[in-house]
Amino acid sequence: MGRLDDRVIIVTGGAAGIGRAFAEGFVREGASVVLADINGEQAERSAEELRQAGGQALALTVDVSDQAQTETMVAETLSRFGKITGLVNNAAIAIRVRHTRAPLEEIPLDEFDRMLAVNLKGVFLCSRAVLPHMKEQGYGKIINMSSGTFFNGRENLVHYVASKGGVIAFTRVLAREAGPSGIRVNSIAPGLTASETEEHSLEEFAVRIPNRAIKRIEVPEDLVGAGIFFMSAESDFISGQTLAVDGGVVVH
Amino acid sequence: MGKLDERVIIVTGGAQGIGRAFSMRFAEEGARVVIADINGPAAEKTAAEIGEAGGEAIAVPTDVSDHESTEAMARAALEKWGRIDGLVNNAAVFQRPQITRGTVEEITAEEWDRVIAVNVRGPFLCCRAVLPHMKSRGYGKIVNISSGTFFSGRSSTQYVASKGAVVGMTRTLSREVGDFNITVNSIAPGSTASDPERDESNYQGRVPDRAIKRVERPEDLAGAGVFLMSSDSDFMTGQTMIVDGGAALN
Repeated sequence: MGRLDDRVIIVTGGAAGIGRAFAEGFVREGASVVLADINGEQAERSAEELRQAGGQALALTVDVSDQAQTETMVAETLSRFGKITGLVNNAAIAIRVRHTRAPLEEIPLDEFDRMLAVNLKGVFLCSRAVLPHMKEQGYGKIINMSSGTFFNGRENLVHYVASKGGVIAFTRVLAREAGPSGIRVNSIAPGLTASETEEHSLEEFAVRIPNRAIKRIEVPEDLVGAGIFFMSAESDFISGQTLAVDGGVVVH
Repeated sequence: MGKLDERVIIVTGGAQGIGRAFSMRFAEEGARVVIADINGPAAEKTAAEIGEAGGEAIAVPTDVSDHESTEAMARAALEKWGRIDGLVNNAAVFQRPQITRGTVEEITAEEWDRVIAVNVRGPFLCCRAVLPHMKSRGYGKIVNISSGTFFSGRSSTQYVASKGAVVGMTRTLSREVGDFNITVNSIAPGSTASDPERDESNYQGRVPDRAIKRVERPEDLAGAGVFLMSSDSDFMTGQTMIVDGGAALN
């Protein structure tokens, strides 16, 4: 008996990294998952692995910044599983996607726009797409992935940090708007997490260790417990909150 | 199979209200519970109820503001089960005895001292009592119960100040003990219908402020307690989680 039995959960950016770790954890707890990722092939490979382990998993190719695609994502989820219990807005331009790290004046405008389109408008569009169903159902759980960088104002990343601050503001407003319909909206702010990547070495992830209470590298699995908690009935009286899961860098 | 199998957890103020809800749920999840409460007979009653339901619990009469008493509490847990995995610092002065709900000028210095002694010195002493053991084992989970009033400022100063201190203690202690794999987090409940002698109509006042528009009950907090006592939260420390149906937003 799992904590997420019979729940259907969409994880955007679910093909790899933190999103994939969530999907694995959710399946282990009995949920059916939809891996919605801009990299459809990788999503399919991850979904196939979950199915081979006995889980229910569907891969979809989705660009979260495209409204039509987010609506298709919802339609296909409903057609395959008949309901949507949860949505994890995890897709983002972050560690696994190349982006400029530079002072504000050097951030290309098109890159700023793209960052906001994926990291913030993507959250808006995916939430917008699932809300009619969740409202009709009278129940729903949404997690929006923010970032510890919002709390400490990490320099040379203004486009990323602004987008992640927007996610927390969005979380708070939607929590109030959707609460009366039985929908809970919360946010998780990870620290710098060693998601699988070819471009980054483990040493790069070690830079934050001295700031932590728990002095080791953060890995995607460290976030799974919080994800399960927010997707389960255990957190049904919690909404609008942001949980920093970073080994105690930020104390929030 | 429970989420807290084998864990030994001390819940201060565990006999009634929110503490009782924690104790009952922890036991259901397989934990062995030490109900440390100033009201010994009430603690015995809750421990007996857990036993009847097939769980394991002992009652240890404890005044958390008394150093000796907190040492005895930790000793009792170790003598009974040989380990302490978790501590929930839940005992506090709020409804019983009823604190003065008034302005600074209306709160006596004696009342101030008593509220701080139980609500702040209490968690300090209880942490102090369990930390040597947790450090020697290299693992531990501490949860300090703060209050949504710390965020809203909507209560009287002696109480809100005490609950702000709890958040401060949580943050500092989390950094001090992280190297020992001890996590320290805080839960901030909203106004909770925890007094069996007052019915839910007394708790309607905060409902309009909430995203989830109903009265908060002790059971609403149990899930967060289980999460923070379980290995699911092992990389989370120093944090304060508001569990209040979305009134205050943190």
